[in-house]
Amino acid sequence: MASLPKRIIKETERLVTDPVPGITAEPHDDNLRYFQVTIEGPAGSPYEEGLFQLELYLPDDYPMEAPKVRFLTKIYHPNIDRLGRICLDILKTNWSPALQIRTVLLSVQALLASPNPNDPLANDVAEDWIKNEQGAKQTAREWTQRYAKK
Amino acid sequence: MGPTKIKQKRSTSTTNEYLDSITTPSKPDNSCLISPNGKAKDSTSLDNVGDAQVSDESEFEIEDLLSSSDEFVYDEDGIDDDAQVMLSHPIEEKEQKHQKEGNMPDLDYTVMTMQDIFENMLRRVDHLQPIFNIPREDILLLMQHYDWNEERLLENWTEKMDELLVEIGVTQDTGSTPHVSVATNETTPQGKTTESSKRGVKFRENFTCLICCEEKNTETFSLECGHEFCIDCYRHYIEDKLHSGNIITCMNCSLALKNYDIDNVMGHESSKKLMASSIKSFIQSHNKNYKWCPYADCGCIIHLRDTSTLAEYTRLHYSPFVKCNNDHRFCFSCGFEVHAPADCNVTNAWIKKARKESENLNWVVSHTKECPKCGANIEKDGGCNHMKCFGCKYEFCWICDGEWAPHGKDYYQCVMYNNEDNPKKSRDANLAKYMKKYTFYYRIFNEHELSAKLDWKLGQTIESKVRELQEQMDISWIEGQFLPDSIRILNESRTALKWSFPVSYYSDQSHNLTKIFVDNQSLLSKAVEDLSELLQIKDPIEIMRRKADFYNMSGFVENRKFALMECGRELLCRGICKPMD
Repeated sequence: MASLPKRIIKETERLVTDPVPGITAEPHDDNLRYFQVTIEGPAGSPYEEGLFQLELYLPDDYPMEAPKVRFLTKIYHPNIDRLGRICLDILKTNWSPALQIRTVLLSVQALLASPNPNDPLANDVAEDWIKNEQGAKQTAREWTQRYAKK
Repeated sequence: MGPTKIKQKRSTSTTNEYLDSITTPSKPDNSCLISPNGKAKDSTSLDNVGDAQVSDESEFEIEDLLSSSDEFVYDEDGIDDDAQVMLSHPIEEKEQKHQKEGNMPDLDYTVMTMQDIFENMLRRVDHLQPIFNIPREDILLLMQHYDWNEERLLENWTEKMDELLVEIGVTQDTGSTPHVSVATNETTPQGKTTESSKRGVKFRENFTCLICCEEKNTETFSLECGHEFCIDCYRHYIEDKLHSGNIITCMNCSLALKNYDIDNVMGHESSKKLMASSIKSFIQSHNKNYKWCPYADCGCIIHLRDTSTLAEYTRLHYSPFVKCNNDHRFCFSCGFEVHAPADCNVTNAWIKKARKESENLNWVVSHTKECPKCGANIEKDGGCNHMKCFGCKYEFCWICDGEWAPHGKDYYQCVMYNNEDNPKKSRDANLAKYMKKYTFYYRIFNEHELSAKLDWKLGQTIESKVRELQEQMDISWIEGQFLPDSIRILNESRTALKWSFPVSYYSDQSHNLTKIFVDNQSLLSKAVEDLSELLQIKDPIEIMRRKADFYNMSGFVENRKFALMECGRELLCRGICKPMD
């Protein structure tokens, strides 16, 4: 493997020295581009009290190309599908090389706080969310209890 | 002889030909004596409708006069009662020609290249400049953002000019007027405010780039926003985005890079790549009006201004054939080669079927053939289907394996599918029969495709042949043009012949018009083979000696082709030919 770009080293260092509250990200021992991530469910959201596991991978072209992020913990959310894939603009078309791992993870956390059922990835969840928001949030809470308990 | 007279000749012979094909299949040579001037008759093909328009009027008058005397000239032989009904057919035929050349709207199209389209866009930008009163580069960005849709841009411009400039990244979101912050312009480099002096490429010592995190002495680039990054990162970033066709912004905010910024960072030409990909996506999103020429490595784009005509073409089973600047002819609707007499539906059904069923068949049929007499393996390396075995000297037809002698005379038998072939076979043999029918048509189709390719190759050498004539026979270039003309007619006719087989495959075999169509196929087949054989002649003296034959033969072929195409269209219009799977 080619040597790790300075940018990745710096970001990794900073994630350790100056961690983001409620978020951890540790590179894998064998592959320093592969991160184990945890995100705490934001307070006031149905995901509160939950701890969600994610994986994050920095492709060869990073930071010109966006990191690949995926939920490993099951979650009931209109913008996250059954496979844990996330519908988030900055991970796709709106990626900019000036964004970082920490900003991406913050955006994912923000997505948990404010789901957007009008631009859904998991259609069934989004439909539920629009038709019966209280019920959907209850389901999300139940899932958090069941799958993401700390 | 003026153009009208030539037209007159054409109309006459076309009507005659058509009648011939219906009534007297046994004497096709009657009308093939066309004077050398007949060469000018090449405007019969459908996509030349536009060219023929000028002399429409005169043609109709002449035809009206002629038709009354011509329509009922026929022979009885081989025509049963039902066929008499068909004889009224030329009248309809004539009406349809009226529709085609009179009411049938012309295809109003132009051939363009990417460069042409881009220059058009630039002209539109110049047009908009006095209205917008901002630099041209900025209007270019606006146009790019609006997918080159001027109307929508103008609409939004009048509503929310300042918002728009922020949205596309011409100005920063600070409430300043556009004229202050976009002051930087290539042509006026001096006298900048501090804000605009941030824009551009600079050299910095010990610069730490926030993208790559490297510290080095390097060139950097930034826009007015002051987000400064090293030139390597910027180059990498821009390179990745040049193919998207979208506006490229600062790596850290939404301020847009203009074309001169891009060229500044990357070196000249680069913004052209971006413009090209933007135009490409414009063409992609306007694919109702714009079509790429489907031929390999041809960069032509056909721009059809008015697509409302297409529906009319479809209704009458014409196909909107267009021709690009490199003489590639194709169907605007389906993107295939010229496929008359088949329409797009027949073509698609046939192609799908061929893909599904003939992958194996394809190879077997197209590559191998044994001499029907001695069994020697024979590969066909010329366009003509008249084969002579090198071993046993047996002369046979490549298509039907039958002896050649009967082909050469009056009736080209081998295009007729013999339905009564196997009467003893029972119902459960239906599938085999069906496959046999398909195989039969597919094989013929394939043979003609192969022959067409060989003819095309022959055509590639024709210019040198003409030069040879000029040098050895001392004739002028223009006089030698009968050769390329003949090749072109041969190619077009073989294509028409080829596509007539899907039509007969999908047609009701028992219907009389189908029989007439098959007769027409026979006649064109024979004519095409004759012309192809004529074109095999290599000796310049012989070629010049038979010059009149070239004219006669290609004129005849052209007429036969037209008759076949019209007859095929009739099959489609009447629903006798129905493509199905």
